[in-house]
Amino acid sequence: MLLRCRIPLEHFELDLNVSFDARVTAIFGPSGSGKTTLLDAIAGLRAIAAGEIEIDGQILFSTVKGIHLPPRQRGIGYVPQEAALFPHLSVKQNILFGAGREIQTGRSPGIQCAHVLEVLEIGGLLARPVTKLSGGEAQRVALARAILSRPRLLLLDEPLAALDIGLKERILPYLGRVRDEFAIPMIYVTHNLTEVLTLADWVLMIHQGRLITQGVPRETLRTTRAMLQSPDEQFENVFTVTFVDSDANAGRSKVRVQSGEELFIPYLPQPPTRPFQIRISADAIMVATQNPQGISAGNVVPGVVRAIDILEGQAMLTVLAGEEFYVRLTGAAVSRLGLLEGGRVFLIMKTRSFHLL
Amino acid sequence: MIFSFETWQITVFSLSVGLASTLLILPFGVVLAWLFARKTWPLKSFVETVVLLPLVMPPVSTGLILLKIFGRRSPIGQWLYERGVEIVFNWKGVLIAMSVMSFPLLVRSVRTSFAEVNPRLEQIAATLGASPLKIFFVITIPLAYKGIVAGALLAFSRALGEFGATILLAGNIPGETQTLSLAVYNFVQIGKDSDAFVLLGITVALAFLFVWSSEWLLRSGNKA
Repeated sequence: MLLRCRIPLEHFELDLNVSFDARVTAIFGPSGSGKTTLLDAIAGLRAIAAGEIEIDGQILFSTVKGIHLPPRQRGIGYVPQEAALFPHLSVKQNILFGAGREIQTGRSPGIQCAHVLEVLEIGGLLARPVTKLSGGEAQRVALARAILSRPRLLLLDEPLAALDIGLKERILPYLGRVRDEFAIPMIYVTHNLTEVLTLADWVLMIHQGRLITQGVPRETLRTTRAMLQSPDEQFENVFTVTFVDSDANAGRSKVRVQSGEELFIPYLPQPPTRPFQIRISADAIMVATQNPQGISAGNVVPGVVRAIDILEGQAMLTVLAGEEFYVRLTGAAVSRLGLLEGGRVFLIMKTRSFHLL
Repeated sequence: MIFSFETWQITVFSLSVGLASTLLILPFGVVLAWLFARKTWPLKSFVETVVLLPLVMPPVSTGLILLKIFGRRSPIGQWLYERGVEIVFNWKGVLIAMSVMSFPLLVRSVRTSFAEVNPRLEQIAATLGASPLKIFFVITIPLAYKGIVAGALLAFSRALGEFGATILLAGNIPGETQTLSLAVYNFVQIGKDSDAFVLLGITVALAFLFVWSSEWLLRSGNKA
């Protein structure tokens, strides 16, 4: 899709000129960088001073050609941050609100209601009034509503931002399943790195309304100042794994990453049957130059340093140890260990530092 | 017997014409209130002011204007008369006076309740393919309905209390244009105080009932 637009805002002007074609495109930037405005403009809810929006070869908006499709004719599903469910309608009525959409987008004609309910696990909520839903449930219902309008593009505006951490961890997998089950391209706005790494195939980094860089999430985020400049932000390693075995007495489960490496993670009482995702913070991984002995950590994995990016005293190491791991160290640690690109290291990861997504 | 035939007749007449006037202005009031709350258009503030004028103008002045508009010597009155419609000095005059005088209250109340509906919901409905008409009837109206009903109740009570404009446009003809308020005035004038008090009791009871239910509706919130 092609996006070229200039949107005047209060303090700056949103000016973008990008074309991208990915399953999930993340738009990453700090609060106030114009992300929601951009989504509103794509959906047709906000005026654009000049520009062009084209999806699947169809022009939705063009100042030059004088095209300005109203929102209802764009075929774009929108899940806003606050879910915006219709409070006077039941969950079922909400979900089916756009299901009879007249315009045919040609996209995903095969999306079935039952399938959507199953993927998002909201079949049991249908009769409930939406005012009786939890935050996570409301988001899933809003997602189902947008998907069932069978859009050509799905816009997600920080769907996890309004939820607390615990809920986030439970709704993130649903977003992954939506991506995998329905062939709808998504634009996902967020200021959370974990979400970008988990969901996106492509990321646009915007700041003050301008595109700083774009690319594949891992490389792009690693080398972008935004990541290193926000030490509060968790930089997460996210891996897709399959379950191997569990030992309740040992308090741990064994999983296998795609490269075949096995890792110990906290005990899973109910082992998932399909592949699932785990994460570990880049700050939670220790690096040793020799194989450590007499150490409590459950995972010691040998690897090779691929890259060292240092910015303002913070170092981001890329270590190939089966999978690529990102490890954030201080500049002092890098010089004390004499770490160099190509050097052999051991990654030390506590079992309990791994979390499920 | 306190409730004479006359008392009943006056009460029923007032209630029915009041109800008719409220039902008459409701669709216009709702659409206009929506235009005020959701749209920007040229001369909007001018139109808003004109609509609100009867709220603050002396009702007698409004009545005089209406008399000039609908009187047989005006073009409009003439036009209506030729088609067999006479407004002045009959129940239609009462209807017009009540409608004009209660319209601003309705519009104000409904405009507020529209303004309280989150525009985001309407926007999202549009992205789901809903037409402006569907959004209006399926999202906006249901979410604002309490304010609309409260506004209608308020307008209805105002219509029942109408005096100044009615007496100029419709006169005070017993059995024909005499409403509750006109009758109270009339009974006091001719010294029939006990009759006046009965009607007074009825007006107070009705006013209390309508204002109370209107307030109750608004307090219970617009959000379902």
